[in-house]
Amino acid sequence: MSNVVIAGYARSPFTFANKGELVRVRPDELAAQVVKGLLERTKADPAGIEDLIVGCAFPEGEQGFNIGRILGFLAGLPRTVAGATVNRFCGSSMQAAHIAAGAIRMGAGDAFICAGVESMSRVPMMGFNPMPHPALAKDYPQAFMSMGETAENLASKYKIDRATQENFAVQSHAKAAAAQSAGKLNTEIVSILDGNANVSQDGCIRADTTRAGLAELKPAFLQAGTVTAGTSSPLTDGAAAVLVCSEDYAKKNGLEPLARIKSIAVSGCAPEIMGIGPVHSTQKALDRAGVKLKDIDVIELNEAFAAQSLAVIEELKMDPAKINLDGGAIALGHPLGATGARILGKAAALLKREKKRYALATQCIGGGQGIATVLEAL
Amino acid sequence: MTAAISKVAVIGAGVMGAGIAAHVANAGVPVLLLDIVPKDAANRNVLAEKAVAQLLKADPAPFMSKRAAKLVTPGNLEDDLGKLADCDWIIEAVIEKLEIKRNLYKNLQAARRPGSVVSSNTSTIPLAQLIEGQPKAFAADFLITHFFNPPRYMRLLETVAGPDTRADAVAAIRDFADRMLGKTVIPCKDTPGFIGNRIGIFWIQAAITAAIESGIAVEDADAVLGRPMGIPKTGVFGLLDLVGIDLSPHVVASMVATLPKDDALNGVLGDPSLIQRMIAEGLTGRKGKGGFYRLDRSGGAKTKLAIDLKTGQYRPQRKADLESLDAFKAGGKTGGTQALLTRGDIGGRYAWKVMSATLSYAAELAPEIAASIEDVDAAMRLGYNWKTGPFELLDKLGPAWFADRLKADGRKVPALIARAAAEGGFYKVEGGQLQTLAFAGGRRAVKRPEGVLLLEDIKRKSKRITGNGSASVWDLGDGVLCFEVHTKLNTIDRDVLMLLGQTIARVPLMHKALVIYNEGSNFSAGANLGIALFAANVSLWNEIENMVDLGQNTYKALRHARFPTVAASSGLALGGGCEMLLHSSAVQAHAESYIGLVEVGVGVIPGWGGCKEMLRRWGTSPKMPKGPMPPVAKTFETVGTATVAKSAAEAKELMFLGPQDGITMNRDRLLADAKAKALSLVKGYRPPEAAVYVLPGPTGKAALAMAVDGLRKSGKAMPHDETVAASLATVLSGGDTDPTGTVSEEDILALERAEFMKLVRHPKTLARIESILVTGKPLRN
Repeated sequence: MSNVVIAGYARSPFTFANKGELVRVRPDELAAQVVKGLLERTKADPAGIEDLIVGCAFPEGEQGFNIGRILGFLAGLPRTVAGATVNRFCGSSMQAAHIAAGAIRMGAGDAFICAGVESMSRVPMMGFNPMPHPALAKDYPQAFMSMGETAENLASKYKIDRATQENFAVQSHAKAAAAQSAGKLNTEIVSILDGNANVSQDGCIRADTTRAGLAELKPAFLQAGTVTAGTSSPLTDGAAAVLVCSEDYAKKNGLEPLARIKSIAVSGCAPEIMGIGPVHSTQKALDRAGVKLKDIDVIELNEAFAAQSLAVIEELKMDPAKINLDGGAIALGHPLGATGARILGKAAALLKREKKRYALATQCIGGGQGIATVLEAL
Repeated sequence: MTAAISKVAVIGAGVMGAGIAAHVANAGVPVLLLDIVPKDAANRNVLAEKAVAQLLKADPAPFMSKRAAKLVTPGNLEDDLGKLADCDWIIEAVIEKLEIKRNLYKNLQAARRPGSVVSSNTSTIPLAQLIEGQPKAFAADFLITHFFNPPRYMRLLETVAGPDTRADAVAAIRDFADRMLGKTVIPCKDTPGFIGNRIGIFWIQAAITAAIESGIAVEDADAVLGRPMGIPKTGVFGLLDLVGIDLSPHVVASMVATLPKDDALNGVLGDPSLIQRMIAEGLTGRKGKGGFYRLDRSGGAKTKLAIDLKTGQYRPQRKADLESLDAFKAGGKTGGTQALLTRGDIGGRYAWKVMSATLSYAAELAPEIAASIEDVDAAMRLGYNWKTGPFELLDKLGPAWFADRLKADGRKVPALIARAAAEGGFYKVEGGQLQTLAFAGGRRAVKRPEGVLLLEDIKRKSKRITGNGSASVWDLGDGVLCFEVHTKLNTIDRDVLMLLGQTIARVPLMHKALVIYNEGSNFSAGANLGIALFAANVSLWNEIENMVDLGQNTYKALRHARFPTVAASSGLALGGGCEMLLHSSAVQAHAESYIGLVEVGVGVIPGWGGCKEMLRRWGTSPKMPKGPMPPVAKTFETVGTATVAKSAAEAKELMFLGPQDGITMNRDRLLADAKAKALSLVKGYRPPEAAVYVLPGPTGKAALAMAVDGLRKSGKAMPHDETVAASLATVLSGGDTDPTGTVSEEDILALERAEFMKLVRHPKTLARIESILVTGKPLRN
């Protein structure tokens, strides 16, 4: 059986939705530039790509028309490369990589581009036409519960107070700001051209974030709650992509793999505490890899909310020093469909940069799910 | 000949300069805002850029729309002088220092295009001094244009032309200011303070001095000088707190320096020590640490304090309680003011002292500072927000009574007042024409600017065609009828709706079009809630449902009339008033129209077709994404939060006004524009067909409920808001419909009616209505 590797990672800058520098860039254009950038960097032969799989949480409007196929045209891929869109909300583009990994193992292709995109400026969260099942909404409202409220549920269930959440957010910004100023993020970022403008820097990171500053914010979701805008990931515009291929293909084509995909998993949980999703999916992925959590050296845990991340950390007893070395989504932003590819690519890149053996990338998913990938150094 | 003004520059980015620039932008004209480069500034445009940032934050908003804000280009006087060559009008609004202005004019003269107009916004310096030493070519293109603060909202523009100023330059500015900026342009003679400030500053100074001398409390002084005199209720001390106490010594000093020694202003200067001390201590009014009034927040609770004019110490504020105020209330609209001025208590004596001096001053000065009596009145109305100008107030009091009082005091009776007393008042209507006393003797007709049509003039000339206690119908000529509402705040009651229905039936008999217009401050504050609450209190639910029905049917008739109907809005057009606009063929809106469906604030939803019309507008907007939800969500957001557009331009963005609806900048031109709009629609007019809607049904309601749930949990919505929102969601999502089906206008009206009736019976709704009627404040429950 073929081993599956991640042979490249690129992303756009992540900027605030509705006020950032990418507001006026269409999501299909944004993602196409990232795909092109990925191919240029890896020097992979486009003709060898089986499929372009694009994760997107709200695949409609400018993210519609099977954006996977549209990206192929925009990025100038040969017409022989297929294109698909997948939706697992925040886990969409990690799911894209999982699909590719499964296909490679099946012998159904050697190389895949697994991308993700979300312009939360241009396609609103919930989409243009939210039309929930009325009876389900009434009888089982948690199916549609707001993400903020699920974070509040975890905060109270795990007794995570506001100060602890704020501390976590401050650290996320500090790590991201340090990585940014050290130029560590530049290696992954593809500059986005918008007319004459060239967007090359992340826009959400705030180096001057302080506990005192965050303490002044009002609770965003529950009047007497603890979760604020400062301890939540911001609405973000962005795209990310990874090149997933068989180890043999990488060797044969002179590609430089970052890491091997050791195992994958998804899981479901109660939707009202969707943020705990990574716990079960991580356990499943670790079991499948035959690796213990203590053996994992690098963890990318998506920070949908500080409360949610802290609940997962507590439940799995993760070592905070291993988590999100260059900052997480609270600082960087969380363009829903793009995040999975970002943290997977980031975990692979960190494994190589830090010269470690095992990495874990995991995230929670609205509706009550988790997704996890275990990576191994080559 | 000066070409049309298509680009403007404002020099000086202070409060006035920036405000003027914003208002030029409101007219849709690009404007360059320049100021000096501060020493060692890294950003050379810093002053103008800061001013624009300040404008965007200011409340009330200087800009009418976001689009307008983009028309202001900040710059500086060193790098951008060259750009002045593109400008047709250059407005100088720099500090009131003659030398600085004169030096600047030299630079402007070198940079500007020949034939462009330069004007100064000076408030006190005579034109003759400004142009001294300037070349003839400059003087020919120069005038004074004095705006009042804030420039967007104050309708007065005083102009002064010099002997050398080109007539066509004056005409071009006058026309632009009138039609584009919406100003009432009052030509003034070249005297210090022109008209508004000359009289206004005298009044303020007289009021301060008399208060200190008489020992009257500031609350009492403001209570008698405010509403009873037709002056804003801030009176004099509240006004000083508002504009900044530190401003007045500068203006007074500058006036005293330029006025002749025998000017009466010198007689009311009084003892300045209290004000000097207040300024020294930072007590400059609302912008400072407090003023004559102060809000004390120490100790948690808010306590209103007022200053004791004798000791200069603050003490708790108290409500004015004076015999003279009771006399004012008892005297009613006609006799109240005179009754107050006649009382011998401290309030009556104080008010008489201040007002008799001010009105005499105005009468003595008028021929020297203005072209006519009505110009003086207009200046005080539009520049100081007096309800009546000095001569209108004198007419109200009776010039003979006033002259007798002066004589009894042993004071001189100004010649104009003596004439008015002898000739039956300053104003008179003769043969349907309003006339005033001419300075030169005799009477002259009050002339309106060309193209201005006022209902008050039509009323003088003609009899109303029909009417009742709430509304009237007038003939505007050329086949156009005018429907006028004249209730309190122009609220809509049964009589208004009945007469509107009858009028719609009447128009086709002999007329071509209908204009809905009134000359009050507001188009309409909405349905008359008092009647609704009364009916609810005695459980006359049928009565309320009949009103809902009557409103729906009348507005439907308005929308589907076979002739064009044009509603001319100005001021508030809320609730049922807004729905009247929504059902007219077209709207001609004064730029200062504040339009919104605010029903949820009183616990109900729009019931006269407002939901139906907003759904149609958003549903047919090319800007909306496809699918059944976007128009529903947008309407829900606008109506569910009782959003009120803060200008006609904003009302277009919110779809209360359609793309074809017109905006008139000058309030006095609104009726003429509405009439012209109605006539332009006559030829080939076809009423709109009933709309057919595709709405989401229960799934839409579920989606909206999720959003409201979030607002409720985060504390942004109150419990009753959720109830009201659920009803609104039922109507907007189309009840039990399915996205594969269609919904008719009648279906939506039936939903509106059913949900309205459900809500109006709710005790929390009735509590909201009662709160608005009793306290004027919305209740959050």
